Amino acid sequence: MEKAKISGYQLFVLIFLFEMGSALLVPLAGEGKQGAWLVILIAMIGGILLFFVYYALFQYYPNQILTEFVRSILGNFLGRIVAFLYILYFMYLAARVLRDFGETLLTVAYPHVPLFFANAAFILVVIYTVRKGIEVLARTSELFFVLENVLFLTFILLTIVSGMIHLNNLKPVLEINGVEMVKMAFSKTIFFPFGELIVFLMIFPYLNEPQRLKKIGVGGLALSGIFLSFTMAVNIAVLGVDLTLRSQYPLLTLIQSIEVAGFLERLDVYFLLKLMIGGFIKITVFTYVAVTGTANVFNVKQPSRLAYPVGFVILLVSIVIASSYSEHIQEGLSAVPVYIHLPFQVIIPLLLLIIAYFKNRKKSNKHQQHKTELKGGVEGK
Amino acid sequence: MVSFFKQKRQMKQRDAKKEDQGQSKTVDYIESSLSANMEIVKQKTGDSPDIIIRTLKISQDPEIKTTIVYVQGLIDNPSVTDFLIESIMKNPHLSEKILPQKALEVITEDVVSLGGVATVNDWEKLFLSLLSGDSIIFVDGINTALVASTKGGERRSIQEPSTHLTVRGSREGFTESNVTNIAMLRRIINSPDLWIESMKIGTVTKTDVSIMYINGIVKKEIVEEVKKRLKRINIDSILESGYIEQLIEDQVMTPFPTLNHTERPDMVAGNLLEGRVAIFVNGTPFVLVAPALFVQFFQSVEDYYNRFDIATATRFLRIIVFIISVVGPALYVAATTFHQEMIPTKLLVIVAAQRETVPLPAVIEALLMEITFEILREASLRMPKAVGSTMSIVGALVIGQAAVQAGIVSPAMVIIVSITAIASFATPSYSIAISARLVRFAFILCAGIIGFYGMILAFIILIVHLCSLRSFGVPYMSPLAPLNTQGLGDTFFRRPMWAFKERPKLISSKNNLKREGENQRPLPPESRGMKTSTERKGDGNES
Repeated sequence: MEKAKISGYQLFVLIFLFEMGSALLVPLAGEGKQGAWLVILIAMIGGILLFFVYYALFQYYPNQILTEFVRSILGNFLGRIVAFLYILYFMYLAARVLRDFGETLLTVAYPHVPLFFANAAFILVVIYTVRKGIEVLARTSELFFVLENVLFLTFILLTIVSGMIHLNNLKPVLEINGVEMVKMAFSKTIFFPFGELIVFLMIFPYLNEPQRLKKIGVGGLALSGIFLSFTMAVNIAVLGVDLTLRSQYPLLTLIQSIEVAGFLERLDVYFLLKLMIGGFIKITVFTYVAVTGTANVFNVKQPSRLAYPVGFVILLVSIVIASSYSEHIQEGLSAVPVYIHLPFQVIIPLLLLIIAYFKNRKKSNKHQQHKTELKGGVEGK
Repeated sequence: MVSFFKQKRQMKQRDAKKEDQGQSKTVDYIESSLSANMEIVKQKTGDSPDIIIRTLKISQDPEIKTTIVYVQGLIDNPSVTDFLIESIMKNPHLSEKILPQKALEVITEDVVSLGGVATVNDWEKLFLSLLSGDSIIFVDGINTALVASTKGGERRSIQEPSTHLTVRGSREGFTESNVTNIAMLRRIINSPDLWIESMKIGTVTKTDVSIMYINGIVKKEIVEEVKKRLKRINIDSILESGYIEQLIEDQVMTPFPTLNHTERPDMVAGNLLEGRVAIFVNGTPFVLVAPALFVQFFQSVEDYYNRFDIATATRFLRIIVFIISVVGPALYVAATTFHQEMIPTKLLVIVAAQRETVPLPAVIEALLMEITFEILREASLRMPKAVGSTMSIVGALVIGQAAVQAGIVSPAMVIIVSITAIASFATPSYSIAISARLVRFAFILCAGIIGFYGMILAFIILIVHLCSLRSFGVPYMSPLAPLNTQGLGDTFFRRPMWAFKERPKLISSKNNLKREGENQRPLPPESRGMKTSTERKGDGNES
């Protein structure tokens, strides 16, 4: 673990940008049709429930990062294996997000640039940041938070000014019935992006005011959920359900159709900037966590030295992960949530929590017995 | 590789030398024989002609030889001739008979009519005083010498500063003399809490370096840190405050300045009152101020003299100017090479028509023009003033017009480069303008390679780099990141004077943050508000 402290506001901002990261890119909860925004909100509530699981785990081990307390819970051998699996999971997610961004970039603006070059340039920036440590990342995200919000506000403003919002597109909200919606939310949207909050189990111990963590986590998730839901609603209101579902990047389609005063048009760069800030924070958090986790599991003294090797592995994985973009997306939609997200985000943490509960109950029981024996039945509390 | 070893060997030699010096460093005391002393003075200074040795005779039966030694040009001539030589020669006390042992005492107490007089008996201190402008009085038979403070000589007088010009505000600028500079600050801040500590840095030059701070406002840790870093310096010479700056900054590998420097006493005073530490170096009018924050380089003293709305608008302008001077040419390169669809059609047609004849890709064109401009700028800085007009003609006509007519560069590029150049001169701090120029080239290259994608990556790296910097432990981007809402009032905004409640939190001492009293907001006289029925005749409300 690094010797660093981040403030509550910094963590909040980090969570917000992390959640917004790549979720803005894709038609999130698109199958929800006119009710997509509702599905996102339901998933957000699910995400908050998941956060409470992580929060409970953190409560048991407030000074240990995930890879550390896994060993405290499962013992050294099994714990090490699980910790290593988590590192692989984080690296895989980093690679996935990197691939997402590389592909988007090539599709949107640079059809002739090789994917490897685009990804390599991006990962170099990420490595540079990871080497600087969590404090610098936190301060950077504070600045980007302001920028991201300014961009968001101008985007909303421009959309309204250019008169493209047709609220009729949002009706009927409940074309798909409620049960279906909840099913949808809890089978896909909850894992991406809300469940990915599990990486923050590697960052929570840096917080300098742990007693406020609950508020910070719920606040960050809620704000990002509302933003995502709002963006999706605006997307559908402008483009209609059909176009939103069919377009690869609905937000880009939306931004491209903005036209104000015959001068402000084709604002692709604006999309690029917004996209890359979110993506940058997301990939950096994943990479940073993979680096500190590796250092922790293998007892490396200087984690910053691992930034290059881990970064290059992520780069290579991002290239070989799929042979084409459609394959990549198909994997992301069908296989990853069930076989990867579900165990890592829900099953293992729940198991860990149960084991930790029993372990600590035993301990505290013993402790209490010990206390009562010592004090002769006089309870302290 | 070779140079590396050489360096190592040199370091070894230096260590060895240091040891030598350490061993032979026993204190040399002054002899009692005058002629022996004079021999030592001559031998140590190489008999340099500007060391004046004037021998006088005092007392009668026996006559005692007295010698005054001083350095020509460093002393204040009237004080040496009138108060030293003349008073020794004509003083009635000295024409009487006095014991040789008592001569020095008599001279100190009854003869020399100067402010600072001290006795000294070791050569090292003696030479330090002699070479900083004091006069030394030796008396034959006594192994102590008298140091009379006669510092003076020709110096530049206080003039208007040539950098950091303002329309409104003090016209005084620092000079090369530490004594004058410190006195200027004393005149502005009349408080006993204005503390000064001095030290000599530079094994050969023995330059006077003073740090100044306001006790009670400054953070103790920052003063300690500054002192610690200054004491660590072991170098032969300090010729300008830039030497100190480069030896005490937090991070070396950065294009951004992490110490501020200024020629204006009012700016130093303002910084001291925020809890910063000033470092005065003798021989330069530039005073260092630490710690420095990024936002500080966009602030001018005049912001505080003007009203807040105007000051805020000016600061926003400066931010825009900085952004232009960093990304101006890069934007043009990216838009014309990779993102033509971004440019409105009519403008695109014009630009495309211009670029049709240009044989170079936009990125090369931009780099070429930028370098040409840098050459022009550098040349006009260093050239004698008489050649200056030739320079501007060559620059404007030959390069501006002829290059465009010859079709080597497009007129649009000339416009972009000119705007960028003007923008980089509009930044209030010269040091941040230089950084912007350096960063600009990186942006042009990134834009030339992969358009806006490269620019955004460069932008992210720039932000991360800025966030990773610290100045004397204070995060460089504060109060923006880490966010400090109270401090935000003096960043790109300038809160009204009546709302400046606190000093910057990360810089000033925590227990003395309050700056001004409550309810400082000026209110119109009550009778001038909306009129009520309570007004009486004759209270000035008739109009």
